[in-house]
This record gives sequence, C-alpha cells and structure tokens, in this order.
Amino acid sequence: MAHNETILITGASGFIGGWLAETLYLSSSAADVRAGIRNWSRAARLARFPIEFVLCDVMDRTQIAKAMDGVTCVIHCAKGSEESIIEGTKNMLDAALRFGIKRFVHLSTAEIYGNPSGEIDETFPYQYTGNPYGDSKIEAEKVCWDYYGKGVPVTVIRPSIVYGPFSETWTVRFARNLQSGNWGTFKGYGEGICNLVYIADLVSGILLAARHECSIGEAFNLNGPELVTWNQYFQRFNAALGLPDLRVFQPSSARLRTMIMEPIRSSAKFALAHFQGPLKRISQRFRPAKELMKSAEKSIKTTPRLTDLSLFNRDAIYLTTKAQKMLGYKPTFNLDKGLEMSVRWLKHLGLVDQTRKDTGICGRIITSA
Amino acid sequence: MSNILSQPSKPTSGIKDPPKIALIGCGAIAKEYYLPALTRDTYILNNLVLVDSHRERAQKLATKFEVARYIVDYHEVLDEVEGVIIAVPTHLHHPITMEFLSRGVHVLCEKPLAESANKARMMVEQARKTGVALAVNYLQRLIPSFAKVKELLAEKTLGEPLSITYFVGEEFKWPTVSGFYFNSPISSGGVLRDRGAHVFDHICWWLGEKPKLVSSQNDAFGGREAVAYVQFEHQKCIGEVKLSWLASFPCRFMVECERGTIEGDVYDYQSILLKRGVGQNQRINLKSRDKTKVDIACKVVANFMRVVKNNELPLVSGSDVLDSIKFIDECYEAATRFDMPWYEIRELNSGS
Repeated sequence: MAHNETILITGASGFIGGWLAETLYLSSSAADVRAGIRNWSRAARLARFPIEFVLCDVMDRTQIAKAMDGVTCVIHCAKGSEESIIEGTKNMLDAALRFGIKRFVHLSTAEIYGNPSGEIDETFPYQYTGNPYGDSKIEAEKVCWDYYGKGVPVTVIRPSIVYGPFSETWTVRFARNLQSGNWGTFKGYGEGICNLVYIADLVSGILLAARHECSIGEAFNLNGPELVTWNQYFQRFNAALGLPDLRVFQPSSARLRTMIMEPIRSSAKFALAHFQGPLKRISQRFRPAKELMKSAEKSIKTTPRLTDLSLFNRDAIYLTTKAQKMLGYKPTFNLDKGLEMSVRWLKHLGLVDQTRKDTGICGRIITSA
Repeated sequence: MSNILSQPSKPTSGIKDPPKIALIGCGAIAKEYYLPALTRDTYILNNLVLVDSHRERAQKLATKFEVARYIVDYHEVLDEVEGVIIAVPTHLHHPITMEFLSRGVHVLCEKPLAESANKARMMVEQARKTGVALAVNYLQRLIPSFAKVKELLAEKTLGEPLSITYFVGEEFKWPTVSGFYFNSPISSGGVLRDRGAHVFDHICWWLGEKPKLVSSQNDAFGGREAVAYVQFEHQKCIGEVKLSWLASFPCRFMVECERGTIEGDVYDYQSILLKRGVGQNQRINLKSRDKTKVDIACKVVANFMRVVKNNELPLVSGSDVLDSIKFIDECYEAATRFDMPWYEIRELNSGS
C-alpha cells in the first residue's frame, strides 16, 4: 500500500479481516492498519501483533465516526446478522461518503449468484435463494452500488470457498468431521465443484483491488488456482491429516442420514435456545446425560445438512478472468500447499488429535476411569 | 431486584460488625465474581464502596447489586477503608495496592498479583513493613480437585513426581469491559500471564518450589501471546504446559509419580482420577459445597473479612505466589516464537 495510508478493517477479529490485518503488518506495508472490532472478546488472535484496535460496531454510528477519523481506505469485512450485513454496510458507506474516504472495498460473497451452474463471471445476475446470508449480501451489494453512484469509490470482492488457518467453516469444521470417522465422500452429492481459495491468495487479491484505481466501481470474483470436487477436497484433506480412507456414502444413505438428522438438529437448536441453563446443569450433575448430549452433538455436527448436500452438488465455477486481467491476480496456493498449511496450523493449535510424539507441542491427555 | 439479591442473605464471614471495604474496579471480574459473593452477606454490603474511574460502570453495578455508595476516585477512601479489593487491569495492581498498603489498609488483590516478580516482591515487602495483609485471589488453590493433588503429593504415598503435563486451551471469551488484555499500551502479557497465573501457581505449589525452565515458546509478534508452550524440570520431574486462547482442547492435568498417577479435568472441581501402582484408574469424588466460582469467591471474601477484622491469615498470600510469578517472568525472557509457516507471507505484488 502507499505511504500515508491508514486502512480501517472492519470485522478484524474475524477470519478474513484478521488475515488482512496480519498480512499488512507482516508484509511491512507502509500503510497503517486500524483493526475495527465489535468487542474485545475475540481480539486474542490479532492482539499478538502490535496493531491499533478501535471499537467499530457497524451498527453504532458514533463508533464508526471515531474509527473512520483519519482513514484513507476501508476494507469492510464485518458480518453478522442480516440487519448488520445490510444496515451496517450502509452505515459504513454513509460515513465513507462524509469522510471522503479514498477507497472502500466491500467483502461480498459468491453466494450472491445463488445456486447456478456452469462458468460464472461477474456479469451473472443476483439470485435470491432464501438463504439469509446470501440474500442479505445481495442487499448489501445493492447499497454499495447506490453509494458508488453518490461518489464513494467502491470495489466489491466476491470470494468463493475460503479455507486455511482460522477458517472455522471450511477448515476446522471439516477437520473435526473427518476425524470423527462419521464423515466420508457422498456419491451423487459430492461431485459438485468446490471452488476453494486459500486465504493468503484471497488476501492478496483484496489488497490488489484496494491498490488499483481501475477496480473502483467494479466487482471481482476471487477463486483458487485448482478446481476440485467436494469429494476430492474431503479425500485430500483426509489424507493430509493422515487419517484412514474415507467411507463412501451411497446417495440414498447420505440423503436418509440427513433427513433423519434434520428434525433432531432443529429440536436440539430449540432446546439450546430455550433451555440452555437447565441442560448445562443436568450435564454437569449427571455424567451419563453429559455423554449422551456429547454423542448427540457429534452426530448432528458430522451429518451434512440438506443445504450442505445442495452445495456439494453445485456445478458452478466462479471465474477470475477479470481479476487476473485488471488486477494481476495470481493465486499461488494449490490445494496440496493450502492443505499442508492448514494441517500444520490445526496441529499447532491442538485442533486435531495427534500423538505427543508428533511435534511435542500439543498432545492430548485422554483417559477415562 | 436481581436473582442474586433475591437469594436469602447468608453471612459468609460470620462477622456481624464487618469492616469498611472498597471494591476498586467495576469490570467483568467485579460483576461475575466479587459482587455476587459480597452481596450474599448483607452485613458486608452495608459497608461497601464501589470505585471505578468510569462513573457509569460503577453506577451500573451499584444499581444492579444495590450498593449504596459508588465513587470514581479511590483516593477518596484511602484513609477511610480498612480493607480493599483490587479488581482493576493488571498493570494497575502494583501502584494502587502499594498506595493502600502504605496507608495500613489490608488488600485482597486479583490475580495475577503483578506484572513482574519485582513488583510483586515490592508489594509483599510493603505489606510486611506496614503490618497489614496482602491476600491474593489465586482461587484455584481452594478448589477441591487441585487441593487434593497437593495433599497426595505432600503425603508422598505415590512417591516423587516424575512428570507433570498440564494443558489449558479455551478460546478467549472473557467479557472484558476495558479490553485491557489486548490494548497494547496498557496490557501486561497474554495467555502466559493470564491462564498461566493459575497453572504455574499450581505447579510451584504442588512441587513446593519453582521448577527450572527448560524451554518456552509462544506466538507473539510483538503483541500479546495467545498460545504458549513451556517445558520445565524439577529434581526427577519433567513437565510441559500448553496454554491457548485460540482453540479449545481438553483442559487437563496429569501428574505421574513413582507409584501412581493423578489426573484431572481443570473444570471438574469435584473429582480426580487416581491410579495407584499398576492398578486401574479410580475416580475419587471429593465432597465439597464449593461447586462454582462464586462459591469459592464467598470463601475468599469471607476469609478477607476475617483477615481485616480478626487478623486471620489469608487463604493465599502475596508471598505464596512469588515463585510462580518469577517463573512466568522467566518464560517471557526465554521465549522464542513457534515455527508458523502459514505466516511466511510473501512479498505482496506491487501491482503497479
């Protein structure tokens, strides 16, 4: 980034926002980083770096105004409820307009294309699916274009499936599922294109977009260099973790498990929402109840949802031709390299089992009476 | 009225003429720990002053817990109170505690006692000079499971300890109000100083003294470490500790001795696993009324009232924890960074 730049990153305690702040710090960029966080409770990761923190709840206009003071560029990664995705983006853009911000990069998602098939470039129209996340991101993009019309120099980034260290959804969750022994490949469902992009590639794409004048008023897909199916992702991730071969779920079996688990999942969600306190007390008092709850939780977490099966079956490829041509975007992490980093990170944090001989860093003491 | 206040009043200290006490700091620890304990005893409540430099914070807790008086400047009560509970960010423990100790006021200080062993020693020395008590809230020493380990090691029926393994991994979720843990200019350490305060206190307490540091690694890049790994040795015993604010993994400890093994879950206060010789693991259930942190807080607060009023000894005093604070200092001094290849960020494209 240029000298005298001050970049405000919203959602800096999150997966992508955190990576952006860390990358800017580590790359000795001349820009000053200002990490916008909603509260302090998730700041532990970023606080390892001597980076400036500001409280910046995107629903709080007073906080936004303070956070935005002296900023030249905003990279808006904060997400949350549907309201905060839409209204929060509007609040940020409104402040950007008032403060005369030079660049505003909005982190959207490839989910705004809905459930398409084939090759998808940035001209593909928005598609509402009823998925609150994707639908609210469409609304947020519309707000962006509205403010672009008013003079805010907006760029929109549409990442595909972002994996790597600190990815809860696509790395940690699958690592746990694979390790549980309940996961597998899904015949008839897992043959869709996975569209994986390693986090460091995404971050470099975002920073290229923030730097290039030509990106103002444009949207960019950012995807990885290698196309694999979801089943291939599970297999290669499984191999990288050094686990035994995955079981193969036949189409009928995969669907049946999912259908059985859906009402159980809904009931558990309801129970947790309404009876969390009593359930916690029961589990603390009665060991068998605790074991039962743990077992139910494991089954729920390691069985794909209907929406997962639909995603695993999606036959869409998000093209990055525009980003390559206009920004010089070149993703360099193929799946093997991205998975190697992911697995090393998982082991470092003790998020996957390993014998104590592996690294000496984090074994697990598991013994039962 | 809050749920806490609707519980029947239970005089925990047994003192009907309690001392005048100030609670300094109205952040998360005051709200979650000290005030639920202090307000269980109406006698204490009537003699309590809340202090916080942010008036709204003090007012909010005073209203919630029905404390009649709150102020913003602790200097107002320097010559007024007999005892003070220090629940402010760690870097303020030393200066505020020193002021009260030098005025002859008894102090109960939140953990960690100080940012360094030097400062902690000064505090202990000041308490000795003025003849008042410096109690510290290293509450985990009062938890039955940890106390049982100490008892088993002290009686030596299992022989000498050969290894200690202690892992505490939890994502940081403490509802810190000031953000002092992470605010670089005022913060005083990361997971080592925070979770490590208890873990290394246990280890020093169990072993009877400070072990020798073998290696120390963490993940700080000039900020506050969120993951730390430490190896140590003491006589025949070797040990390893892993602490994390970034990931949850089973929080457990294991002490292998010459003739048996003790294991425990950090959050299971009521039992440990004990294996004698080559026998099977046996779960030892420890009967105690102290099931929650607030139960322990009641004990700590009640003891402090008696320390102030009757010159009773503190459950844990400042001098008891000097070894662990010194050990943590050594961990910082010797620390190297973990190998983290995912941070080998290549030069960004200039994109020009």
